[in-house]
Amino acid sequence: MKDNYSVVIFYSTSAAIRTESLAKKQGLAIKLIPVPRHLSSDCGICLQFNNEDKPKIEKILQDGKVEYENIYKI
Amino acid sequence: MWKQFFISRKFIIFTGIFIGISAAVLQKLGNPANMGICVACMERDIAGALGLHRAAVVQYIRPEIIGFVFGSLIAALVFKEFKARSGSAPLIRFVLGFLAMIGALVFLGCPWRTLLRLAGGDGNALFGLAGLITGIWVGILFIKSGYNLGRNQRTYPLVGWIMPLIMMGLFLLLLFRPQLPSGAVFFSSQGPGSQNAPIFIALLVAMVIGFLAQRTRFCTVAAVRDVILIKDTYLFTGVISLLLAALVSNLILKQFHSGFQGQPIAHINQLWNFGGMVLAGLAFTLAGGCPGRQLFLSGEGDADAAVFVLGMIVGAGFAHNFAMASSAQGPGLWGPASVIIGLIICLIIGFSMSDLMKKKKEA
Repeated sequence: MKDNYSVVIFYSTSAAIRTESLAKKQGLAIKLIPVPRHLSSDCGICLQFNNEDKPKIEKILQDGKVEYENIYKI
Repeated sequence: MWKQFFISRKFIIFTGIFIGISAAVLQKLGNPANMGICVACMERDIAGALGLHRAAVVQYIRPEIIGFVFGSLIAALVFKEFKARSGSAPLIRFVLGFLAMIGALVFLGCPWRTLLRLAGGDGNALFGLAGLITGIWVGILFIKSGYNLGRNQRTYPLVGWIMPLIMMGLFLLLLFRPQLPSGAVFFSSQGPGSQNAPIFIALLVAMVIGFLAQRTRFCTVAAVRDVILIKDTYLFTGVISLLLAALVSNLILKQFHSGFQGQPIAHINQLWNFGGMVLAGLAFTLAGGCPGRQLFLSGEGDADAAVFVLGMIVGAGFAHNFAMASSAQGPGLWGPASVIIGLIICLIIGFSMSDLMKKKKEA
């Protein structure tokens, strides 16, 4: 997962946790991590996922009506 | 190479060590005992200097608070992270700041001073620390239940500059010390308020801390939160570094005196040492960060964090005017009751701004 991942940056910690549980239900390899220092964000926690899962993550965010700041490739 | 250092774990350890040593040295240079740096106490002193409370021994415009905001502002401008934003439940944040201050003043210290009191050998701080962790843990339960204060919005740059401008105003009051017929600006002639490190050294040290903390996102409350919630120890290593660095510095400077009785600016009522910090820890967690972090955020344009800071300063005024703050003799007359009421208010905020209520409505 190290070299090939992206992160979703959220506005609130609970949005990050909600997305984690939604993604876990679909069996995606995801992990909550602190926001990488070179990114800036109001919420200290973000969701890390494999690049190839991006469409699935985007669908989860859309279906779950989760507000998020951005998605970054690391 | 510098870029690598700024995002590495070494950098947060360096930041923690710098804060720990600075606190011990500022104490040596004149700040009150085990209070080289204390965000709550120092904001309380500012409230006193402005006349928001009349506790004559704790009135001084602390340049450390001003420096934290300036340092963070400079880091945010240099690294292009200054972003004016507001609108995430400011009034709730004001209330949380108000309550956090009351809790902190019942214990007599913010999370930073909790660590510094431990590093000075004050055993009573163990009960405060236990309370702090308990408060954070309760806050995490709410976060897991969907608690949030709503998102902020980008706004006009001026909004983000308000807090730095307020700090500039305070700095001018500190430099020129005008004396008005009301007695303001108040400066203690005895007690902790009269003990202070030289202005420009304190300001400079605090600006460096503000700069480092803005880069590392240093936060004592998020440190504990991240360990419990996502099993991440990045911020926690910074907090441990602070504690150890302050401990070693205190030993070298002969500022370490272990025990429970007679500790400086502390009391031995362990129930309310614990209870006060449960309230503070919960309020900080619901607001998203420790009082230091709120200052650093307000320096980088977060107007909601600025409202939290103002809530803390007003809360300090009330805490002393309404006998809620503790003294060396123990909790104030209304201290215990205010902690209980404060906890109830925090629980109401936690419940009503999470999914717990929404689900009930839907059902």
